[in-house]
Amino acid sequence: MLRLLLVIMFAPLVSGFITWLKNNLRLRRGPGIFQPYYNLAKYFSKDEVVADSASWIFRLTPYVVFSATLSAIFFSATPNGLITLLFIFSLARFFLALAGLDTASAFGGMGSSREMFISSLVEPVVILAVFCLGLSVNAPSAVFLAGAALFLATLAETARMPVDNQETHLELTMVHEAMLLEYSGRSLALLELAAQIKQLIFFLIIAGLIFSNLFLLPVIAILVALVELSMAKMRLFRVVDFVAFAGVLAVLSIIMSVLGA
Amino acid sequence: MELLLLLGILTTAYAMLTAKRMSALIANFRLQSLLLFIMTFMEALAHGSFNLYLVAALILALKVFLIPLALFRMLKRLKVDEHVGFFINPLLSLAISLGLTYLAWVFVRQLFPDSAIGFVLAAAISFAVMQVGAMIMVARIKAVTQIIGLMVIENGIFLLASTVTGGLSLVVEMAVFLDVFISVIILGVFVYRINELFTGIDVDQLKGLRG
Repeated sequence: MLRLLLVIMFAPLVSGFITWLKNNLRLRRGPGIFQPYYNLAKYFSKDEVVADSASWIFRLTPYVVFSATLSAIFFSATPNGLITLLFIFSLARFFLALAGLDTASAFGGMGSSREMFISSLVEPVVILAVFCLGLSVNAPSAVFLAGAALFLATLAETARMPVDNQETHLELTMVHEAMLLEYSGRSLALLELAAQIKQLIFFLIIAGLIFSNLFLLPVIAILVALVELSMAKMRLFRVVDFVAFAGVLAVLSIIMSVLGA
Repeated sequence: MELLLLLGILTTAYAMLTAKRMSALIANFRLQSLLLFIMTFMEALAHGSFNLYLVAALILALKVFLIPLALFRMLKRLKVDEHVGFFINPLLSLAISLGLTYLAWVFVRQLFPDSAIGFVLAAAISFAVMQVGAMIMVARIKAVTQIIGLMVIENGIFLLASTVTGGLSLVVEMAVFLDVFISVIILGVFVYRINELFTGIDVDQLKGLRG
C-alpha cells in the first residue's frame, strides 16, 4: 500500500524533473519542477467535455487505464510478475487505442494505429529482456545488455524522443498525444497520471530489478533527458530499425546469459 | 568498468550497422574510438607505463579527432548525399552480425578452452567488432564506408591485441597507427579518383570494369 502511494506521489515529479533538466540544459527558463502536479490539479478541477459521437468506451477508458496501471505496480517488484505486468499494460493500451478510434476524429485513429504499430514491435523486446532477467544468475554482461535493451524499449513505451515527442501537439508527429486529444478534465488528468506512473514503473524495473540498485533512478532520468536533447524524432518507419537495435541487444543478452558471461 | 566499456564498443559497432546516414556512421565510429581510448587510458593508469599513455594519446588524436575530421571533409568535398546505401538492409545485417558474434564466441572458446570467462568475452567481442567492420565494408555501397569499415576492423584488432597479449610493443603500435593514418589518406585520394572517373562513389558501378 505504501508502495502504491509512493509511486503515485513521485510519478509526476519524475516527469517534471526530466522537463526541468531538459530546459536547463537548453538554457531556457521552463516550467518549475512541480509543474506536472499543478497541471493535474488544474485538470481535476475542470469540467469535462465529451464528444456527442463518443460511446461508453470513451468514458470508461480513463478508469480502465488508470486502474490497470495502478495494479501493475504490485507486479513490478519481482521478475515473476513482469510478464503479468506487460499484459496489464497491453490491456490499458488496448482500451486507449479503442478510445482513440471511438470519437472518429482523424487524429485519434492515426494515433491508435501508430501506437499499435510501435507496441507490436516493442513488446517482444521487453519480453526478451525480461526472460534474460529470469535466466541470468551470475552474468554481468547479460544484465548490462538487457538493461540497455530495456532502456531503449522504455523510450518507445513512454513516448520519449526518438519515437514520439511529448512536448508537441503537431499533428504529423503525435502518437500518444493523438489518442488523448479528445479528453479533457478529470479523464485527461487520470490518463496523464497513468502515463507518468507507467514511466516510473519502467524506470523502477530497470533500476531496481535489472541493476538491483534503486539509486540509479535519477541516473536513468538524466539519461532519458540527454537522449531526448541529443536526438531528433525519427520517421515512423525508421522506428522499426530503432526497436530492432534494442531487439538485437536483448537477443545478445539472452545469448550471454546462456553462455554465462 | 572494463566490461561496460567492452560492451559499449560492441554496441557502437552494431549502431554503425544500423546507421543510415554518413554522419551517424562517422559519429558512431568516433564514439567507439573514444571508448577504446578510455579503456587504454585506464590500463595505462593501472600499469603506470609511459608507452600505454602514448598509445592512448595516439588513439585520441588519430581515431577520435583526425580521421573522423578527414572523413567529414572528404564527404563535404565530394558533395555526395548523406545516405549510406545498402546492399544488405540494416535489419538483415544486424541479424547476420548477431550470428557472427555467436560464432566468434564459439571460435574463441575453441581457441582458448581453459581461460577465464572475462578473457573469452573480451576476445570474442574483439572478433565480433572485426566481423562487423568487414560487414560494413562488404554490405555498404559508398566507397567512403569501406574506409570506415577498415577502421572498425583495425579497432577490433587493437582490442584483441590489448586484451590477449596486453598490448603490442610501442614501435609496432606506432607503425600501425602510421599505417592506418596513411591508408586513410591514400584511400581518400582513391575515393576522389573514383568519384571523378565514375561520377559517383557507388562501389556497384565498379563492376563495369570486369571483362
